[in-house]
Amino acid sequence: MPEALLSPQLLRRLEQFELLAMRRARSSLKGERRSRARGLSVEFADHRNYVAGDDLRYLDWNLFGRLDRLFLKLYEEERELPVRVFLDASESMTFGEPRKFDFAIRVAAAVGYVALCGFDRVAVSVFPERPEELPVRAALRSVRGRQTALGFFNNLSRLTAGGPADLNAALRRGALEARQAGMAVVLSDFLDPAGYEAGLRALLGRGFQVTAIHILAPEELAPTNFGDLRLVDAETGGMQEVTFGRYRLAAYQQTVRNYCQRLREFCTVRGINYFLASSGTSIEELLLRQLREAEVWG
Amino acid sequence: MNFLAPLALAFAATIPVVILFYLLKRKRVVRLVSSTLLWEKFLAETQASAPFQKLRRNWLLLLQIILLALVVLALARPFFAGEVKGGRLLVVILDGSASMQSRDVAPSRFDAARDGALELVDSLDRTDRMAVLLAAGNTEVKQSPTSNKPALRRALRGCEPAESRGQMLDALRLAQSLTRELSNAEIHLYSDGALTGLDEFENEGLNLVYHRIGEGAENRGIVAMDVRSHPEDPDQQAVFGTLINASTNTAQARVELRFDDQLVESRVVSFGPRESVSQVFSVRQATDGVFALRLTDDDALALDNEAWAPALRPEPARVLLVTLGNRFLERALLSAPRVQLATAPTFEAAAGDFDVTVLDGIAPLAWPAGNVLAIRVASTNWLEIQGELEAPPIVDWKNTHPLLRFVSFDNVAIGSAIAARPSPWAAPLVESPGNPLILAGEMGPDRFVWLAFDTTQSTWPLRVSFPIFMANAIEWLNPAARRAERFQLAAGDPLRVALPDGLREARIKAPDGTEAVLTVEEGSQEVVFGGADQRGTYTVTVGTNEFFYCANLLDAHESDIQPQAELVLGRYARTEATEQRLANLELWRWLAAAGLAVLLFEWWWYHKRTA
Repeated sequence: MPEALLSPQLLRRLEQFELLAMRRARSSLKGERRSRARGLSVEFADHRNYVAGDDLRYLDWNLFGRLDRLFLKLYEEERELPVRVFLDASESMTFGEPRKFDFAIRVAAAVGYVALCGFDRVAVSVFPERPEELPVRAALRSVRGRQTALGFFNNLSRLTAGGPADLNAALRRGALEARQAGMAVVLSDFLDPAGYEAGLRALLGRGFQVTAIHILAPEELAPTNFGDLRLVDAETGGMQEVTFGRYRLAAYQQTVRNYCQRLREFCTVRGINYFLASSGTSIEELLLRQLREAEVWG
Repeated sequence: MNFLAPLALAFAATIPVVILFYLLKRKRVVRLVSSTLLWEKFLAETQASAPFQKLRRNWLLLLQIILLALVVLALARPFFAGEVKGGRLLVVILDGSASMQSRDVAPSRFDAARDGALELVDSLDRTDRMAVLLAAGNTEVKQSPTSNKPALRRALRGCEPAESRGQMLDALRLAQSLTRELSNAEIHLYSDGALTGLDEFENEGLNLVYHRIGEGAENRGIVAMDVRSHPEDPDQQAVFGTLINASTNTAQARVELRFDDQLVESRVVSFGPRESVSQVFSVRQATDGVFALRLTDDDALALDNEAWAPALRPEPARVLLVTLGNRFLERALLSAPRVQLATAPTFEAAAGDFDVTVLDGIAPLAWPAGNVLAIRVASTNWLEIQGELEAPPIVDWKNTHPLLRFVSFDNVAIGSAIAARPSPWAAPLVESPGNPLILAGEMGPDRFVWLAFDTTQSTWPLRVSFPIFMANAIEWLNPAARRAERFQLAAGDPLRVALPDGLREARIKAPDGTEAVLTVEEGSQEVVFGGADQRGTYTVTVGTNEFFYCANLLDAHESDIQPQAELVLGRYARTEATEQRLANLELWRWLAAAGLAVLLFEWWWYHKRTA
């Protein structure tokens, strides 16, 4: 149910937004995005001389009356913006209180809703693959139109997370699969031992306008487990022994800040919008303030 | 290199313990986390999985082991064999005299002195030796020279002050003999300086350190007490007491006189600064008993606030005057209090027992038993007669002797006198140049007084001092008075009891109630009790008779508790009180122990930070 993901108040606020694409929409399907293609719409673009065979409905009769020459009125053709949401559903996303995955789904729902309201096409790529969720994921692969929002939310809420993921591979595959580049929103904790650089580069190379939303759990930002610990990686099963006390908390937080800073710098120099969000913070803060201020939507 | 404490090397066993702590596999709590990626980055520098990998390049551990090894070495006290200068010999003399019980320093001067000496023990180097002497009524060697600190401390704690005057001279002489010919010897005297007899001590380059103990002088004390018949009223006894104020302030004190614990009189005495005041009480005495003088006010020294004197009921002296006729002498003797006088032309012509025999120029065939006043009697074995002196001038007389009390020889001229050389036990009381004119002495139980000149051949009988001298002489020679004197002694002195024939045993009850039974040795008529250290009245029972012996402090030096800034030794030497001497305390053990503690704390802290 949509109420489970986003509150009606938030939905009403989101309806007022539209995705601000830095690049012209490239979809071949008509939509509400201005594209470089000239065509039919209400937005006037230019005139050109009439040649035989042109549709007489677009002749500018007012101009013909004054100049006695035939001109054709040209309009900007409005096309759709393909929006692709990459949703990390790996085991690591199931951690945190509230869970990082739940937070990611709500952000995906919000991004999708704003896109659907703008008659843009939304595709949600969930990784890693889970055969048992194939129908749900297939239904999320291409969604368009505001009337599909309810089904879109239902499908999102039926998603589960688990298993190891390869972020780079998932992004690379998503970049290849897309027929037209558009907007890409990556929702992940970016805690992949193999890194994230190759995947993000692949998206940029394909021409996507990328927004990276880095979701970390409060526990990851400021751990509360102290003492002699043996930490087990939920995805890889790898073990790490650590003796951790309150005196080292600041040092740990500095490590986390350094990690996030490296990711931020990687994104900034490549024109990627980067947002760090704790799953414990309010989603409105991210959606209504940060994304808006960064002109992801407006 | 050797070790003084090689057993301390056992502490080296702690080094593997430190390593073990580092290797110890800790019991860890398993936690499932989303990713170990951040942790790996965080721990990249400090965390390693293999224990020995962890020890590699662990400078902290290395430093700890080096520190620990140094501390253990220090505890083992390594040394190199070599020639070492011999240690010092310190002789500690604790003044255990009565004045050291003053409470102007809490808890008492003696305790403060002992604490000072204990600090000195702490400062001893291991090569130093120390001896402990206690100068109380007698000088005791509490500890012969040793470097054993526990034994020295035990000896010092076993020292107790006496209620008598101190014998510091003996202690100094003993210390001098202990330190003779030692260049690095020191004598540490812990005293308040209230000492007597030091003018007889010649300081021969003695390394004497005088630690002055005491602060104030708020003390009033009884320094003399005597009971004698009243000079003006023969039926009464006069009790003399001399009281001093050791303080530099004026003071008042209430003094009580008791007879056999019954209050006789009480009066308030005012003192000027450092003044002594004499008091005379007139008392009618019906029985033998003990007079007690008591200062009722509290002051720094309690020991001198009470004195006792035994007094026998006054009895008349039976005096035999052997003379061919001497009216002056006869009248002088009759004017003396309580005298029953008999005269005879020769000693042999007299019948009966006499307490005192006065020989006025007549030598008896057999020398009389008992006490004798002999006037110009040459045939005696007491003296070596050397001839005759014509008109010998009187140049000196000892007016401190009881015989010459209130007696002056001004304006006394003598016609002639016997020139004699006195025996050593006879004291010359009046002298002309090179010749005694009046001698007094004691031989065994008897006393005698000898006059070298005929009183009728002098101007003396015309002077007022003549009857006074005769009265003094009869009193001094009266055996009853002498007995009374014998019943009074200084605390700490031996108590001698003469036993009549047939009795072999005396029972002595001390002031604190303890009793002792003394048996006379074969061939002796006297028992000696050496335990009269307490002040107070000792009751001696011999057969059916009971006597009182009174032991008193009665010492002006002890009552004057003003701490002396310097000691005068002999004629020339002076020793000033030292300031508190800083002791060379050995600290390295404490420092090493502190190092060990710091090390352990550092280890604990380091690991607390990681937990």
